[in-house]
Amino acid sequence: MLVTGIKSKPVYAPLRADVRGRYHLMLGHGAGGDALLRVLGEMLASAPQALQNTRVLYVAGSTDASRTIREFGELALGEFRVFAEEAPLLAQFNSVLEHALMGTRLYVAGQESFIGLAMQIALKFNLNKDEIRAEELGSLARRVYCVHCRATTANVRTNIVRCVDCQRWLLVRDHYSRRLAAYMGVMVDAEAPGQLPPVKEVFV
Amino acid sequence: MNEAQTIEVEVRAIEQITPLIKHFTLAPAGGGSMPAFSGGSHIVVVMRGDARIHRNPYSLLSSPQDLSTYEIGVRRMEESRGGSHFMHDRVHVGDRLQIAHPVNLFALDKIARKHVLIAGGIGITPFMAQLEDLRAGSVPYELHYSVRAPEHAAFLPRLLERERANVRMYYDSAAQLIDFDGLLSNQPLGTHVYVCGPAGLIERVIKTARDCGWPDSHIHWEQFSAPPVGDAFDVFLARARVSVHVQPDQSLMESIEAAGVEVPYLCRGGVCGFCQTRVLELDGELIHNDHYLSDADKAKGTSIMPCVSRARCKSLVLDL
Repeated sequence: MLVTGIKSKPVYAPLRADVRGRYHLMLGHGAGGDALLRVLGEMLASAPQALQNTRVLYVAGSTDASRTIREFGELALGEFRVFAEEAPLLAQFNSVLEHALMGTRLYVAGQESFIGLAMQIALKFNLNKDEIRAEELGSLARRVYCVHCRATTANVRTNIVRCVDCQRWLLVRDHYSRRLAAYMGVMVDAEAPGQLPPVKEVFV
Repeated sequence: MNEAQTIEVEVRAIEQITPLIKHFTLAPAGGGSMPAFSGGSHIVVVMRGDARIHRNPYSLLSSPQDLSTYEIGVRRMEESRGGSHFMHDRVHVGDRLQIAHPVNLFALDKIARKHVLIAGGIGITPFMAQLEDLRAGSVPYELHYSVRAPEHAAFLPRLLERERANVRMYYDSAAQLIDFDGLLSNQPLGTHVYVCGPAGLIERVIKTARDCGWPDSHIHWEQFSAPPVGDAFDVFLARARVSVHVQPDQSLMESIEAAGVEVPYLCRGGVCGFCQTRVLELDGELIHNDHYLSDADKAKGTSIMPCVSRARCKSLVLDL
């Protein structure tokens, strides 16, 4: 419904090491940690010295990540930090970028909303597509921006959702804003108030 | 681009500013103002010589905020095919010239966090206009300007008057070389580098930036190639059904134009890709001199940039 073939919908690909970069900055969320470990394994094989110039910021999310954290700890990384929550990780990411140099490559792995928030910060620092790689792993739950009241509703799993602020029923589109790190939500029953199409859990 | 879209200008002033460079000021012949442009744009000047018409690209160096005139700098090329000699020897104040509308193939990145400009010799010209845009903004920038010797430093008084804090000069005569690695290994994230000048300088900057881990989207360069001379050859234009003979010192594009067939172009310097033409038949080899086609495309031999490229062939048929 209203949502096919929209070009702004982000496309992700499995992460690969880009050893043309001089510094590597990796952000992981939950299951995304395994994708980062895979990239680090590639680096260890092809350019082991790159690990010293690699910084990993990781947040476990809701999963048990003790094995992932142990495996990161066993690598000779330039820096490895574990965060209890997403927000302080993103704040740290922002302050790392303040001092980062040209030649830095960014790798982001985790659920889409995490990738989107990281990209939103990267955009501020003029990081381009050829400096960023992202792999989506974990929940497809969306951040949804209400085009009517401009509030953002987090963790949306259904095709139709009630705006957290203005309480309108919103249809969740594939139309994505990198600036807002959110999908657009438009009022679904504006023509016939109260008549909603079936609400389904689609972003799981 | 074709002749119908040109603008007639009057040469308002000519100044010899270095032993090799003349500075031309062009005003609209019919009064009024020139079309708006952004820093980094070039125009193509049409020069009607005795034997042939030259069309050479020159970067605009005047301020994009002042459209009363356009200014260009023309370096006298030792191995000129005629264009730069025509500008230096035949053009006088009060003469009229045709120019094409400005086109920008060397624009500043609009959301960069810092700009590093590197100029070699006459390569300073696009930066003169870009600096006017940068000075009006709040993004940090710096210019590294390398010339053979102080007397070759075109526009230096203007630069020092307006940009003293942001300009660093390098003179070959004093063995002052740009420390490319030091410069490019220590720039904040979101910096863009721009280089214009001799081929060796451009290659050096691109290579050093890549070695320092810069992605290509942050590396910008412009170099207009003059069409190199070569052997004469013949070409058949399939759609126009015309045979054209290309002289050794004439470009393929010029020969086609002389035969009355128009080729769409923007830069005439092998940069923009606008004149890309399909090769329908070829018995021989193409000599690609452009900076636009990838090496793989050049090897395929199915396309040619007639503005700078040629052929060494028994026969060549183009889709024109």
